[in-house]
Amino acid sequence: MRAFLYGVALQWKLDIRSKSLLVTCYIVPLTFFLLMGGIFTSVMPEMKGTLISSMIVMGVSMGAFIGLPPSLIETYGSDIKKVYKANGVPLYLGLVTMVISAFVHLMIMCIIIFLLAPILFEAALPTNLPLFFLALAIYVIVSLSIGSILGLVVKNQAKLTMIAQLVFLPCIMLSGIMFPIELLPKTFEIIGEIFPASWGYKLMIDGGFRLENLWYLLLVFVAAIIVCGILLKKQKSK
Amino acid sequence: MSNAIEISRLKKSYGNDIVLKEISFQITKGEIFALLGINGAGKTTALECIEGLKNYDSGAITINGKMGIQLQSSSLPAHIKPMEAMQLFAKWNKVKIDDTLIHSLGLREIEKKQYVQLSTGQKRRLHLALALVSNPDIIFLDEPTAGLDVEGRLSLHDQIRNLKSQRKTVVLASHDMAEVETLCDRIAILNDGKIVFCGTASELTNKIGKKYFIHIKTGRGSETFEADNIENVLLSLLGELKQKGTKVLDIKVDRGTLEQHFMEMARRAEE
Repeated sequence: MRAFLYGVALQWKLDIRSKSLLVTCYIVPLTFFLLMGGIFTSVMPEMKGTLISSMIVMGVSMGAFIGLPPSLIETYGSDIKKVYKANGVPLYLGLVTMVISAFVHLMIMCIIIFLLAPILFEAALPTNLPLFFLALAIYVIVSLSIGSILGLVVKNQAKLTMIAQLVFLPCIMLSGIMFPIELLPKTFEIIGEIFPASWGYKLMIDGGFRLENLWYLLLVFVAAIIVCGILLKKQKSK
Repeated sequence: MSNAIEISRLKKSYGNDIVLKEISFQITKGEIFALLGINGAGKTTALECIEGLKNYDSGAITINGKMGIQLQSSSLPAHIKPMEAMQLFAKWNKVKIDDTLIHSLGLREIEKKQYVQLSTGQKRRLHLALALVSNPDIIFLDEPTAGLDVEGRLSLHDQIRNLKSQRKTVVLASHDMAEVETLCDRIAILNDGKIVFCGTASELTNKIGKKYFIHIKTGRGSETFEADNIENVLLSLLGELKQKGTKVLDIKVDRGTLEQHFMEMARRAEE
């Protein structure tokens, strides 16, 4: 247990030293929040009610789909994974420590948005804070589970950059955080439903924490855990 | 003397390509043992199967003692610091870090640097320290001195000899024949997935035959000749040179280096 906790704390420090995670978990999402927060709330004042949720969905999606996978490739796409085997440590431990570390980083970023949005843009705070944070935690975990698949499947950074963008961009554009989903053509609306961002957004807005908004995220999470298990088993048997 | 490692009919294949063809050998406790082979001979695969890093198709591997594995460079996260890696390995192995290990491998001097900032020699020292952190009985070193300068190489040789003096078994894979010749008690040569030789360096020389290498330096340059019967060949060469009026500046005769024997062994195996 002490080794595990030390591993998580060490991974958290390594993530801070690694510029890519710092950029995708903090710098870009927070810069986007500062820019778009100002634009959205002045062009569409009604967005003040959903600004926190929409900016958080964007930031979490970026951190999970673009920030986490490179760290996983660094380990599972290289000789670093041998370190685990050589020390009799299960291969999944690396994935677990990286996901926990990324979870903490993303929660910190979300709390910064949560605290700054009302001050800077008069954004409305969620009425039920415990449910909001529970919904947030669920969305972060589900997004990280998808990011984990990307990091374990893709074998090099160049391909990963392309594939991660293919997941991230439609996820954000079609989730309803930029503009109401009803304005989209029906096909795009259906495609948007495939990505977890639209579900996470619905879950986080006031009164949205309901089973009809939750089941899909849970399904994606369970499927992602199974896929990650299979991918790790495949790596182990090599 | 009991064996630290026993390999029996070890077979490993990748698809239809059989990399290890039922190899067998033993490594005695307390010896420095080298696994030699040209690229693609199956040396790294054999080592990784023994270390438990790779699964194998059939055969048996018996390890008598705790293992410590020195991995090659690039097997640590880029931003980790040496002491952080040491702490992590120590916690994984449920041991405390031995201060003498840190001092003897000079890790204090590099403790503030990140892995990516370390030189090749510093990385090798760190990987050796990580392999030793659990106080293992058997240490595996994969190309331990590759990319090191002379000073770094000699320093690492001292560390390896020091391990032997502590009665530890050292198994190393190396391309450096001079290193193997000076360090190792016994060697195994892998060629095309088979062990073509296993024994001491002098046993290898005897197996190759009474081959001599005659190095002659003349005003026109240097040339090396191979000979089984030194007297006849030397006299014939000198006679030939005298006839041509070539002045002989220097003559040296030796039994050949381990590298030459290794190449000869590989050539014979191919025939």
